[in-house]
Amino acid sequence: MEELMRMEHISKRFGNFYANKDVNLTVYRGEVLTLLGENGAGKSTLMNILIGLYQPTEGKIYLNGKEERIDSPGQAVKLGIGMVHQHFMLVEAQTVFDNIILGDKRSKGIFINRAARRKEILELSERYGLDVELDAKITEISVGAQQRVEILKALYHGAELLILDEPTAALTDIEVEGLFAIMNKLKSEGKSVIFISHKMREVLHISDRITILRAGEVITTVNCSETDGQKLANLMIGRELTKSQYEKKEVSGEPVVKLEDVRYNETNKHNGLAGVSMEIRPGEIVGIAGVDGNGQTQLAQLITGVIGPEKGHVHLAGSKVSTFDPFDFIESGVAHVPEDRNLQGLIGDMSIADNLVLKSTETDQFSHGKGLFLKKKDINSYAEELVQKYDIRCTSIDQAVRSLSGGNQQKVILAREIESEPDLLVVVHPTRGLDIGATRFVHDQMIAARERGVGILLISADFDEVLEMSDRILVIFEGQFMGEFSGKNPPIQEISLAMTGK
Amino acid sequence: MEKLKKSLTSFLVPVLSVLLAFLIGAIIMVALGANPGKAMASLFKGAFGTTAAIGTTLNKATPLIFTALCACFAYKCGVYNLGGEGQFLFGATMGFVVVHCLKLTGIVGIIVCILVGAIAGGIWGMIPGILKITRGLNEMIISIMLNYVATLFMGVIYTSWIRDTNMPQTPAVDTSLMLSKVIPSMRFTWSFILAVVVGLVMYYCLYWTSSGFKLRAVGLNMTASRFNGFPVKRYILLSFIISGAIAGMGGAADLLGTQYRLINGYGNGYGFDGVAMALIGQLHPIATVIVAIFFAALRVGSTSMQVATGVPTSVSDIIQALVIVFSVAGLALTKLPEFEALRLRLFHKNAKEGK
Repeated sequence: MEELMRMEHISKRFGNFYANKDVNLTVYRGEVLTLLGENGAGKSTLMNILIGLYQPTEGKIYLNGKEERIDSPGQAVKLGIGMVHQHFMLVEAQTVFDNIILGDKRSKGIFINRAARRKEILELSERYGLDVELDAKITEISVGAQQRVEILKALYHGAELLILDEPTAALTDIEVEGLFAIMNKLKSEGKSVIFISHKMREVLHISDRITILRAGEVITTVNCSETDGQKLANLMIGRELTKSQYEKKEVSGEPVVKLEDVRYNETNKHNGLAGVSMEIRPGEIVGIAGVDGNGQTQLAQLITGVIGPEKGHVHLAGSKVSTFDPFDFIESGVAHVPEDRNLQGLIGDMSIADNLVLKSTETDQFSHGKGLFLKKKDINSYAEELVQKYDIRCTSIDQAVRSLSGGNQQKVILAREIESEPDLLVVVHPTRGLDIGATRFVHDQMIAARERGVGILLISADFDEVLEMSDRILVIFEGQFMGEFSGKNPPIQEISLAMTGK
Repeated sequence: MEKLKKSLTSFLVPVLSVLLAFLIGAIIMVALGANPGKAMASLFKGAFGTTAAIGTTLNKATPLIFTALCACFAYKCGVYNLGGEGQFLFGATMGFVVVHCLKLTGIVGIIVCILVGAIAGGIWGMIPGILKITRGLNEMIISIMLNYVATLFMGVIYTSWIRDTNMPQTPAVDTSLMLSKVIPSMRFTWSFILAVVVGLVMYYCLYWTSSGFKLRAVGLNMTASRFNGFPVKRYILLSFIISGAIAGMGGAADLLGTQYRLINGYGNGYGFDGVAMALIGQLHPIATVIVAIFFAALRVGSTSMQVATGVPTSVSDIIQALVIVFSVAGLALTKLPEFEALRLRLFHKNAKEGK
């Protein structure tokens, strides 16, 4: 087989962190190569290097055997590398035709020879079976058609190597079949495809070779015909179960929250919930394992009242919820450590003290007459106390919370939520971006809350964290639960396979 | 301690802006061949030199304080009310119409007029608020457009409905309604006192009550406020209504304090002046009041400056405009993370070393 692209010893360092380390990757002509790896395994960074968005710290890239420097996406296009991003990069108000010729340098002079361009595009679309309506506006066509436009655009600009980043994420099953037909056609015409996906079934179906990335490094490359889903999942996760330092518990009791066949934005596999049932009992940590963007965000927002279900019921402390409003949920004893701490959790320009009492300024503890006159002295001494108790590293409680490090911001939220003495605590990505010390601290606080009888829902993209903390593990995939596992000696391989939809 | 230092830095920006603006103003004066020291002295003497001058300045400041507080309150909740002028005029117009048609006099008339003004202004402010929270329309455009509607509505009143003989103006309000001077020798009236009281009440509400705290939280981060259970839309609508009511009350008070009648050109520019002053005052109600007085002083003093030194009043306008430019730019500068880092480094050297 003829080699098209080769990456040699590619490393990319951000500060002290290696997003990619000594990666070697070869793509041959006329093949589909799949990149497989967990969140944060370094797939995106590697592809961003290939299309010129990042410059590698070390290493070389060869195209057709010749060393090339790819210093911009424009350069990548010139070298015949095209990428279809997960979120399409199309001008919605323009027609398909205009989108395809955008950035085209073929026309001489100041006018565009539309007839000639149109003929070229039609030829291409026929050759690859990329059926699109050239004069329709982007907003008028389906997501699948938009994707075909992206592919057509890449081919029109001369792509020999096409990178498809989670191309099936937004597609229906029939559209996925269509996409695979196109990919096979591309192969037969000698084009190469780098396919990024988390879905094992699709990966096994369409790939020629599969490269597994873990923690920024290439673990191995296997031929698709010589492997199966279980082997791949093991390679991807690549770990034995390390014994959790926390004792796992099994509890009984009236659930603090119960979901019954909850549906929300059901048709969207990645931002919806398609019939979810679960319950959380006092004094247990229920962990949700899954690849990011399989409905976790919606699950968290639903249990905290930010959004309401389209179908199904939510019960809080035994009674059915009728209005979905964060205020009512907070009143019923639900605390929330949200996904995006700066956007959703904190008022960045307010002080640490203000953020710590954010929800409780109307209480007698912090004001006279139900909020008519704030007791600033009491607020400050309370804040000083929490800063000590939760080890929030700051120069002063009057410091804007924005100026704190991520870990300390997270501690502010955690302090506020845990001190509200909730019955249910929903934590989403609680240790994202935190160092080991802060992570440990957050985990200890969660366990302490559990010991006090708080029911905890832990949603995390960090599989290790879910394994470490959870008393029960639910696996979510495309808005549905794929299975429930005990947190005591959890079957890692089964869980990791369930995460990929098998 | 931290708080003090923080307010010190936020105090520094407007002060530096004013000094810079005056420096450039001085350069212009030199270029015009005048003695800048002398010109500045006459400017301040004209504004604050005599008790009469101070009275004039405070009188001039009164409507500006109201519109500035109006802008300030809406900004605090994170929405942009550029309709202060319309709300001010609608308040003045409705206040006038009610007391005129009902022939109210005396203290009852004064109270009714100011209340009607506040309610009318509140309604005028509520319109962009409702359109924003229910339909997602841009509140800036709606509130600006409503300025024209209010101005033209006032026009209908003084040209057609309640016209004073053959002049395009209404008759004056009854003399028993005209607000008296606080101190007989000075020109400013009780409407100035009302403006300052509104500023103080606003400070209390924003910084010492739970509702004000939440309103500011909504203004700084709507998403987090929603996640933390605050009724974001209710606060936005409320801030529009209160903001409009402040301007409308100002319109009615100014009508009874100095203007006495509706007339062509009344209120022109008050709205945007108010927005600028609220920004220079860093959205702090008390600072905003002080800034409004300062601007009124620049305006009042510029006439004496022209008379005494021949420096045209437009130099004062240039200085005012420069103060706005510098302080808005300065405000943006302090928002930069680099600035915050610098501030922490400068002030907390010892604290860091201690840890």
